[in-house]
Amino acid sequence: MLMQGLEVLLEQAEFFVIAIVVLGLAYLALEHREITYAVFFFGFMAAAVAGFYILLEAPFLVGIQIAVYTGGISALIIFGVLLLPRAQDSSLEIFQTPRRRRLGLLLSAAVMLLSAVLAFFYPWSELSPVSPPELPQNIQGLAAWLWDSHGIYVEMIALIMLTALVGSVAILKRMKAEELRPLTAESHQEPAGRKDTAGSGSASQPETAGEEKEVGSE
Amino acid sequence: MIPLSWYLVVAFMLIGLGAYGMVTKRNLIRIIIGAEIMANGVNIALVAFSIYTSVFTFTGQALVIIVISVTAAHTALAMALMLMYNARYSTVDLGERVAAEGSKSE
Repeated sequence: MLMQGLEVLLEQAEFFVIAIVVLGLAYLALEHREITYAVFFFGFMAAAVAGFYILLEAPFLVGIQIAVYTGGISALIIFGVLLLPRAQDSSLEIFQTPRRRRLGLLLSAAVMLLSAVLAFFYPWSELSPVSPPELPQNIQGLAAWLWDSHGIYVEMIALIMLTALVGSVAILKRMKAEELRPLTAESHQEPAGRKDTAGSGSASQPETAGEEKEVGSE
Repeated sequence: MIPLSWYLVVAFMLIGLGAYGMVTKRNLIRIIIGAEIMANGVNIALVAFSIYTSVFTFTGQALVIIVISVTAAHTALAMALMLMYNARYSTVDLGERVAAEGSKSE
């Protein structure tokens, strides 16, 4: 009896530690001045969220969470930060006005209040957790659930990811093409700008001409 | 035993934090991070609901796998759009663009 009480107490302590770490890292990811550190804090937060899945006895999700969020999405955002020369400029937040900050605080407080009402006043607190199957049966059961009766959803995910991948590449290819034909108002007013070999655009002229040929051939 | 309400409170706090980040920040990277934090909150709520049911099912876990995959896809797309925005306007700060347009109209 004493051991059982101690076990429950330890589990609750683990929950509190993970919750404080997750919320603290999420706050730092949003508020840290240096964007690179902010992305790293996001990666650590995603890894800490996996702690909740351990407590909820969902072992497969722990692996997925760390592989996709910490390993994939964080790395993707870091690549984005490194590709953008001005992304690390800490002065990016100078346009964050106090009015906008108040609006954001109000919105998030409203979301949290509504959620707290839902969490505490609905009789969800009376529900008790069911004991999930052992680890091998858990993963086997999940695979069976996904592939036996819901294979169409897995195929849909694959299609969505493929579409996103092709879409991202298409957007970047289009960006390259638009560099040749800028859509700014100045270029519309001055179509002769393409003929103009003087100025800043002249340095990249041979390169862009080559790219234009490529785009044209596509 | 941890009550379901505790998980829901943490999940909703993460959703609130993400919403705060998406509303207040002008930096596109931070807006994407805010969206990811919200997705994490939703995932915690989904798994908690799937465990606190009368009969154990894999529905919640499978839904979380779908949500994680879709989140990864939308992050890839968002990063591509952000690079395009940066190439066109030479900044990833939405406020800077608005301020530049304002000064141009004056």
